[in-house]
Amino acid sequence: MNIDRHESFQHMIDESLASGISAERERSLRQHLDTCALCQEYLSASNRVIAGLGGFSFEMDPTLNARVLASLRRPAQQVQAGQPGRRRWALIGVTAVVLTLGGSFVDLQFGGLIAAVFDIQRTQVRQELLAFWIVPSLCVLLLFPLLPLLLKAGAHREERTL
Amino acid sequence: MLDYEVTSGASMASDTQQIALGLRRGDVVVLEALVEQYQYRLVRYLIYLLGRRDGVDDLVQETWLRVLERGSSYDGQSRFESWLFRVARNIAVDAMRRRRMSGLDSNDDDDVRLAPASDEPSPFTIAARTEDADRLARSLETLEPVYREVLVLRFQEDLSLQEISAIVGAPVSTVASRIYRGLATLRPQFQGETA
Repeated sequence: MNIDRHESFQHMIDESLASGISAERERSLRQHLDTCALCQEYLSASNRVIAGLGGFSFEMDPTLNARVLASLRRPAQQVQAGQPGRRRWALIGVTAVVLTLGGSFVDLQFGGLIAAVFDIQRTQVRQELLAFWIVPSLCVLLLFPLLPLLLKAGAHREERTL
Repeated sequence: MLDYEVTSGASMASDTQQIALGLRRGDVVVLEALVEQYQYRLVRYLIYLLGRRDGVDDLVQETWLRVLERGSSYDGQSRFESWLFRVARNIAVDAMRRRRMSGLDSNDDDDVRLAPASDEPSPFTIAARTEDADRLARSLETLEPVYREVLVLRFQEDLSLQEISAIVGAPVSTVASRIYRGLATLRPQFQGETA
């Protein structure tokens, strides 16, 4: 049998160990191994390397876990404090709605007052307040439920820069 | 032939989702469980990556802090250990760069060297518990970190080539080549004799 053929089967053994091979190739490999002492030795040595890698037991500092956990406690509290939960999001949302609607109402009242003082048409002031202040505020308010999704997208971007 | 494929079932998916949720909340109970479960594997991975024992505990501590800080970026779609090793690797690489830089600043060769000094026993020699491991220890010591790294991830952590590729930031074909090369370097220890 020529060297190239052995190399081809030995590469197949490597592939089989690293990622697995198709059933058909495995069958062909097994047939070859039944009759080839050189490739059998190659496989046996490879398997011993892999088994040997499992023969290491690294000693751990018995205080390491406790030290790690102690160092994590304070930052964990900060994470908890900085992460609004669902209830908190709901509260923030309701507050935003109340402030926007209340603010819009106050704006309209204040617009009427301004119109009276400066002798401008009340409807004109109200239209401008609606166009430039109240409608944009309501649009921003509609975007509010998207905030958690935007924060999540930000977190995904962060993952790429771990 | 050895089959290293690890099945991923619904229970694993639910576990990783629980971990992702716990990390987002900064849940101390989840963190404690993770440290307990993954600490040894993290230490082992870093030793294989660096080829030394000293400084590993500091990197471990830094890794868990980063896990907590960036926990919201773990989405629970992949195995937690893949993500953990990726975080640890980035921290270790940064530490290596800092060491090199400080070595260049101080003109001190010891700072630049990543492998242990030749008169110190390597972490692999100290940790070898079987005859075969003992024979591998010296070769592992001199093997380049990129090869040691993929060997531990593939054959000790049972990660797929795709998962390793995501951790090391190299194409799957490169990961496979590194595994073949790593095995080829260690294999002569056992060739030319009956098993």
